[in-house]
Amino acid sequence: MVAEASERLVRPQTLAGWLCRPALALSLPAMAVLVGLGLAPLALIAIWSFWSFDPATYWIKPELTFAAYRALFETGRFPVFVRTIGLAGVTAVFCTILAFPAAAVIGLMSGPRRAAILVVLFTIPFFTSALIRSFAWRLVLGRTGIVNEVLVAVGVVDQPIEWLLFSNFAVAIGMIAAYLPFAVMPMVLVLARIELSVIRASGDLGAGFWTTLRRIVLPLSLPGVIAGFLFVFVVALGTSTEIQLLGGAGDSSIAIMINDVMRVVNFPLAFAIATSVVVLMSVLILLANRWLGLSRMFEDLGT
Amino acid sequence: MKERVELGSSTALALTRRQLLQRTTLGAGALAIGALGLPRTLRAARQINFWASATLDIGNDWQAFTKETGVDVAFTDNGNDPGPVVAKLAAGNANDIYDVGGLQGGSEKELAKQGLIAPWDTSKIPNYGTIWQWAKDIPYLSYQGKIYGIPAVINADSMIALQDKVGKVDSYGVVFDPKLKGKVAMEDAWINSAVFTAIYLKNSENEKIAEPGNLTRDELGLVMEFLIKKKKDGQFRTFWNGWEQGVQLVANQEVWVMTGWEPIVYAARERGINAYYAVPKEGYEGWANNTILLKGAVDRGLSDTAHVFANGMLAGYYGCKLGTMRGYVVPTDNNGKYAGTHPDAFDPAKVKALADHVKDKFAGKVYWQNTRPDNFQLYEEWWQKLRNA
Amino acid sequence: MNINAATLEASTGARALFLGLLTLGLVLIYAPAVYLLLASFNPGMQLGLVPPTEFSLSWYRALLGDNKLLFALTESIVVGLATAIIATPIGLSAALAFRVMGARRGTFFLFILFVMFVPGTIQGLGLSVIFKELSIRPSWVTVAAAHVLWALPFAFTVSLVSLAVVRPNMIAAARDLGASYWRAFIDVTLPLVRGGVISSFVFAFLLSFNEYARAYYLVGRQNTLPLTMFGAMNSGASPTIYALSGAVLIISFALVGALMIVGYRHAGPGGGWKKSAPASWKLLMLWRPNARSPLLK
Repeated sequence: MVAEASERLVRPQTLAGWLCRPALALSLPAMAVLVGLGLAPLALIAIWSFWSFDPATYWIKPELTFAAYRALFETGRFPVFVRTIGLAGVTAVFCTILAFPAAAVIGLMSGPRRAAILVVLFTIPFFTSALIRSFAWRLVLGRTGIVNEVLVAVGVVDQPIEWLLFSNFAVAIGMIAAYLPFAVMPMVLVLARIELSVIRASGDLGAGFWTTLRRIVLPLSLPGVIAGFLFVFVVALGTSTEIQLLGGAGDSSIAIMINDVMRVVNFPLAFAIATSVVVLMSVLILLANRWLGLSRMFEDLGT
Repeated sequence: MKERVELGSSTALALTRRQLLQRTTLGAGALAIGALGLPRTLRAARQINFWASATLDIGNDWQAFTKETGVDVAFTDNGNDPGPVVAKLAAGNANDIYDVGGLQGGSEKELAKQGLIAPWDTSKIPNYGTIWQWAKDIPYLSYQGKIYGIPAVINADSMIALQDKVGKVDSYGVVFDPKLKGKVAMEDAWINSAVFTAIYLKNSENEKIAEPGNLTRDELGLVMEFLIKKKKDGQFRTFWNGWEQGVQLVANQEVWVMTGWEPIVYAARERGINAYYAVPKEGYEGWANNTILLKGAVDRGLSDTAHVFANGMLAGYYGCKLGTMRGYVVPTDNNGKYAGTHPDAFDPAKVKALADHVKDKFAGKVYWQNTRPDNFQLYEEWWQKLRNA
Repeated sequence: MNINAATLEASTGARALFLGLLTLGLVLIYAPAVYLLLASFNPGMQLGLVPPTEFSLSWYRALLGDNKLLFALTESIVVGLATAIIATPIGLSAALAFRVMGARRGTFFLFILFVMFVPGTIQGLGLSVIFKELSIRPSWVTVAAAHVLWALPFAFTVSLVSLAVVRPNMIAAARDLGASYWRAFIDVTLPLVRGGVISSFVFAFLLSFNEYARAYYLVGRQNTLPLTMFGAMNSGASPTIYALSGAVLIISFALVGALMIVGYRHAGPGGGWKKSAPASWKLLMLWRPNARSPLLK
């Protein structure tokens, strides 16, 4: 801490001095990528969202208007936002709840060999195509699928269960199956690093498994848990595969809606949707940061 | 290098493992070269990059096409969704990398207006005259007197039905029949599903609908409200999106009837399902996938090669091959002629039967599909309402 | 006591519950992949299961000749590796920057995160417009660029999470002993975050390998694997795509199986390696999730 504090007190006098400041130098590559590849197109898209649709060319013309944003509220787009964000949130919650015990087994209750093998096992399916994995769920959950065949053969039900597929249930299953590893990985990273001595100390003080878990492990692993939740939430928010393949008739998500809108060359609306999503999520993250102190959680938690 | 490695080219021969390894290393090198952006003249002069729906792909058989026409073809799949295709042309880099496009008709006018595609010079396409007249006459193919789209594949769609479950059906009403609740599906695309519904409502329910392919505001409201009500009643098991989904629904008997593309029946039969394509009394929905000449190709001096390519697609081999592979018809009688002179490659009787089958369909009631009806943006708003219902 | 031993002692009930949930997670993740593997042995066109007596390798043979798929696979691997190689160090250095930053770290953190929420299609379209203006031809390079952007926040977060174990007083101690920032990084930080760096690399690779919305607008003539799969699903897929998925699974399992067999033969006490284990196998265990550095003792 002393070393860092003294660094911050000295303000460089030259450009070279500034560039040598660790924080600036270290963050430069990331900033370059984010600004050049991320911010630049986003700014363009945001500007274009205020342009009008040009019926003459079916492209856009520089007449500024709020028409796209008005359309967002008037043509039934907002319910899709709500549904997608809700679905992403629910998926993230389920994945986090399921991932934590798995990560605990890997990180805290296994030797290094077993842990490494389990981690690899969680990663392998990702090397196959996510699209056909979701497609395969149709064959597993369908009316003539495996699950129904077994249920009927065993006699649990007389008729195949209809709601196993093309329902919210199927979408949830598909998403959890697709995104669980995203939640497991960060948690394993953090759980595996919890110091032996702390856990042993807790045991020595008389805490049982659950108490240690609740009062020692969980707080220490919070960055990993938050990271896992965030990862699943982000990918679930932007996906269209599971909903299209496993959802009910014509179920929509933000990604599907953007495609629908672009198909009728309503580009300003598509850009408005994208801009709104980014703004909305940024606000949500800002609020989460204020209330939960997200960024502070990732600072060193010196135990 | 003697061996030209063009990635994305389906003209490569079937490989032994050693060749694959060689090609992969060469391929990686070619990738690197491609990234350096070497000038286009290094590419073979007579090669066309055909960016089209995979329905138009004949895979390794492009080599035979090359033998027949002298044009090397590299095929790239465009995903079959007009939305991203048009977006990539309008705002993206499609014109820098592809030469000829192939997609569902209707967008030709706007692409022409934006200068993204160039008109075909039919004087350079001798086989153009052999195209069936009613295919040439599809309105959206031309703009301001110039021809922008050449029909590549044409068909008339209705419904796939499972014989054992619903018997012989002859009306779209079966898709909306409450007795089949949860056992039917439609395509997740207003471009087709709205037309089918409109066809049904016009001819069987006697609603006042002038052109099912081009609905007015009120007609559209009528049609979509009908669909929304049906969806709310749980009529549809799901809406399907893309070939494999459609085939899977039928082959796994997830649905018993659904509106869709004819080759799904062939695929289902191949997989042992007793499916058939219905002949509905209300009529069919006609559609065409068309080839368009991208402006980028003209800028790169490939216009003549592109015309030879387009001519080649109508010469007979391509049509016979596509018909055998997918059951789709290229709208020219050259296919039959080609099969006649190459009976060992293609069965002339089958080729003729397929062509006659399509011609018969179009001789009856057919309503044309159109990606750009007058109210197309309204269509999409209604479809969003349907999604939210 | 061996520091590599499992640490958290649990009652049988708790252990069973946690193992059960772990198993449930694995079952969910593997159900579709295993189904596809089994279905890939079905010689017919229909995606479905057949009894083992009818198993056939015909689609695997067909896969070897399926150039479209194999070229797309190569392209995806190249893009994925490029993405991982670039995004991992950038993510790590951004995480280090976060740690060293003062008051502005909150803003920096949120700035990196907000990029995650841009819908992929729009991101790809926007980038392709910019590349077009700059006359940059689309190719695997442009795809990798978009994927680096996509993977960066993930790599950053993973690095940040794994940096939580590096305490500032360790760095301060190293500096007091005369080490430069660079030496302190190499000798103290890097070994501690090794697992995080590897995770970050694999994450970035997998994110890129499975991404198609951005890739659609940025590919050159050679489509990536997800795009080819997507097109195949839309317009007619040959079951070679299922054979590809099955092949990936088989190869991966073979590798893991080899690891387990070797591990059994060279198993040391408490789950580590015997001294006699060949160095190359020890290398395979580079990623030991719960290895504790002596520094933490």
